[in-house]
Amino acid sequence: MMIELQDALRKKEIWAIGGGKGGIGKSLITGNIGICLARLKQKVLLVDADLGGANLHTTLGIGVPETTLSDFLNRHTENIQDVIINTSIPNLSLISGAQDFLDAANPNFAQKTRLLRHLETLDADFILLDLGAGTSYNIIDFFLFSDHGILVVLPEPTAIENAYRFIKSAFYRRFKKVVTHQGIKDLIDAAMDQKNTMGVRTPFDLIERVKQMEKEVGEILELEVLKFRPKLIVNQVRTKNDIQIGFSMKSACQKYFGINLEYLGYVEYDDCVWQSIRSKRPLAIEYPYSRPSRCIERIVNNLLRKEQFTLSMLY
Amino acid sequence: MIKKIEDLNFYELLEISPQATSQEIHKAYERIRRVYDPNSIALYSLFTSEETAAIHQRIEEAYRTLVYEDNRKKYDAMLRSRNELPEAPPPPSPAPKFQPRSIQISPTARQEDHYADSGAGAMPQTAQRPEQGEISPVSPFVAEFTGPVIKLLREQRGLSVRDIAEMTKVSVRYLEFIEEENFKKLPARAYIRGFLMLYAKALGYDIERMSSDYLKRYDAATGFPFSLRKKPEG
Repeated sequence: MMIELQDALRKKEIWAIGGGKGGIGKSLITGNIGICLARLKQKVLLVDADLGGANLHTTLGIGVPETTLSDFLNRHTENIQDVIINTSIPNLSLISGAQDFLDAANPNFAQKTRLLRHLETLDADFILLDLGAGTSYNIIDFFLFSDHGILVVLPEPTAIENAYRFIKSAFYRRFKKVVTHQGIKDLIDAAMDQKNTMGVRTPFDLIERVKQMEKEVGEILELEVLKFRPKLIVNQVRTKNDIQIGFSMKSACQKYFGINLEYLGYVEYDDCVWQSIRSKRPLAIEYPYSRPSRCIERIVNNLLRKEQFTLSMLY
Repeated sequence: MIKKIEDLNFYELLEISPQATSQEIHKAYERIRRVYDPNSIALYSLFTSEETAAIHQRIEEAYRTLVYEDNRKKYDAMLRSRNELPEAPPPPSPAPKFQPRSIQISPTARQEDHYADSGAGAMPQTAQRPEQGEISPVSPFVAEFTGPVIKLLREQRGLSVRDIAEMTKVSVRYLEFIEEENFKKLPARAYIRGFLMLYAKALGYDIERMSSDYLKRYDAATGFPFSLRKKPEG
């Protein structure tokens, strides 16, 4: 199986892990997916793109690093290689998030494109971006730029609300990038406000309205809807009903946004996750046979095979 | 082409193929109904309570339409006229589907019990359902699972008692007693409960509800808790 998986992919892929809400396990999942991939003999680079509250290094058991992404963003160094830290895990390296500048939390457009351009030149099989909480443009842009945008959600209303807000923001941001007509851009901005006065409640309403303005643009947006396929991980699952939430969200997304949310899998709730964080040792190293570790392995498997978690896997 | 939720046809709404069997329809209905339950947190912040109620109503409508063969045929024809459904596949060849059994397996089996020629152990298919007399459809929201209701539900799915016996491994005789509510000939209550659970599963109904409904009738008819107490002590 290992060999099969190794052969499955030779091209560099960029995965972004986000989710809107803070404290839902984005960094933990990113770090451990990275370790899983590194074990499959893939060259993995983790990038802590949580520019305001970086702590991906902690989930990997690395102390506060000397060089961080901010050194690169503020042009203390021109070469992105200089900010890459090797970890104790073979094949796994890290670019730690900015620690210092308040400014660094809001890189401008030029800084972002420079970062993304440099990331693309790096020698790695997988680059994983750990995104911060919230739905600011910085975060959404990284999400949209990646090959696979992965959303983490907890089986709780707060996290689910933020996940939908995240999807909506990403979705409308994507729309805005493909249209040039200022009137339509304004319409999309207005539609972001749930209480807008134009009666645009769902993306379907928006597309209909755009079609009335310019038919072709509306059709392009429809195509964008089909191309946008975010992925979902449900973290801290305690019951079978919690697992079902992933399927329910998939169905609701299809019916509300018209987009195909791919359910990658879930991670079970277990005290060993908390213990591993307390001991500052990565979960996949400290408790490799624990249920959460197994769940993450299964998610990596689904990602590599481009498969989804299905109901039949549940029973 | 993406569609608004109001524009989805019943198959799309229940997320099934237009070729789905009645059992698949039922399963999908149960699943979707749970997804769009007003208390489902997966919908949180997406739909208003009025929207959820409207979706719920449409799901019920979809189920009631698709679960009855006649209604479904009419609905399919309507979809075809709107070009939303490909042409109907040719009807299955009218070759004899059931053959009389040559050997008696159990002394309880009756003359009219037949084996399907599709091979032993093969799951019965609803498409092969033999023509039946007039059966008035039962409401999908069964008030109570009585013996005759269970029988009707089974016949609606085009399944014979023998089919159920093969699926559940409960003998034909007991299944018939259950349907006839022949309580005296049925074994002890605990066994009946087990049989009912298997039967409910085979039909795709709520296991707990079907068995508890039925056992309530059983208890009423046999005076179940009484008969235990009346037993003379040694």
